[in-house]
Amino acid sequence: MAETNAKSLASPAHNNNIDDELLAKQFNNGDDSAFDRIINKYSAEVAAFANRLLGWPGDVDDIVQDVFLAALLGLKKFRCECSLKTWLFTITINECRNYRYRQVLRLKIFSKAADKVSLSPAHSADKTPMENDTFDRIQRAIRALPAKYREPLVLKYLQELSTNEISRILDISQNALQVRLSRARKRLKQDLTELIEE
Amino acid sequence: MTEDKIKNLLQKADKTAGTAAPIPANLAADVRRRANRRRFATLAAPVAAAAVVLIAFGIWCLTGVPADQMYEQGKVAALQAEIKQLQAQTDATLKLVREVLENQRRQHRIAKLKAKLASITDPLEEVQRQVDKTAFTLVYEANRMYGELNQRDSAIQTYKRVIELFPQSTWADVARRRLSEIRNSSANKNGLSI
Repeated sequence: MAETNAKSLASPAHNNNIDDELLAKQFNNGDDSAFDRIINKYSAEVAAFANRLLGWPGDVDDIVQDVFLAALLGLKKFRCECSLKTWLFTITINECRNYRYRQVLRLKIFSKAADKVSLSPAHSADKTPMENDTFDRIQRAIRALPAKYREPLVLKYLQELSTNEISRILDISQNALQVRLSRARKRLKQDLTELIEE
Repeated sequence: MTEDKIKNLLQKADKTAGTAAPIPANLAADVRRRANRRRFATLAAPVAAAAVVLIAFGIWCLTGVPADQMYEQGKVAALQAEIKQLQAQTDATLKLVREVLENQRRQHRIAKLKAKLASITDPLEEVQRQVDKTAFTLVYEANRMYGELNQRDSAIQTYKRVIELFPQSTWADVARRRLSEIRNSSANKNGLSI
């Protein structure tokens, strides 16, 4: 028991939560530098997460800026009930949903230019752990998934968060999360049968 | 089985896609600028609405004078008197509108000055704030030393400095708590190793 307590107190996650709490507290006390620290600490993670959620478009500067704008305006209401990272990820999900919604609206309005407006593919010529054709197929399959299936997939397999954290971020029960994950896998399996069976 | 394959496939695709574009260095400044703009817009909307209502009221006051009485048959003198009266009324209304506007401007200026006055912090408070900020920075760095850099001794030294330099601050309490946590965890580790 004592060992578990000592381990949890000295663990990086515990320390991280204390840091988050300190940062939020200090920001609420009027110290602006705390917000800079939050940006330094989490901007890369938020950018990577947004990039994955949107199907790897590469350029996610605007979304990252929107996320931290929402965080700046709402940080005074942050009550440390969850970690700062979980909270920022929740904001990121909402911002990505808004972004995709705006994108769909734009595509509907300018339907002729639909192909041109769509997100540019993020091929990298130098890094080739996978052929571009295969990557294109996966990218299309991921983008075609509805948000309610894509989000748990990204959080589980790419961000590698625990089911507890994911259900907290998505605000759904663990059962609902398992159902969504299973359906998402089923859909991906249908879309990528050949790749999965290789 | 399928789950592992899907996971592998997604992770490979993620590697192929590469990382997101680098975060601009002035992200914090941009975010702050946008937040200020948004706050200004939130304030400007009701002010603009009030101005529109005021202008509409002014126009209504100016045009609300009945015009059909101005032309009656064969009563030029009466008409002239009436016109003069109307002019006087218009002037009075204009004067009133100007006064209202001037008064509003004055109120706005007073409110601005009051806000400015309120924003000037008491030097003692400012010093206290700076002290608090310094103590926080030390505790934050000590947390990093202990948690991320594994520099246990330096972290303990820093916590002790916080307690020594700022004994009355809340951050000294945090430092004391962290010190006792570290000591407990060390004691537990030693106990386990024995």
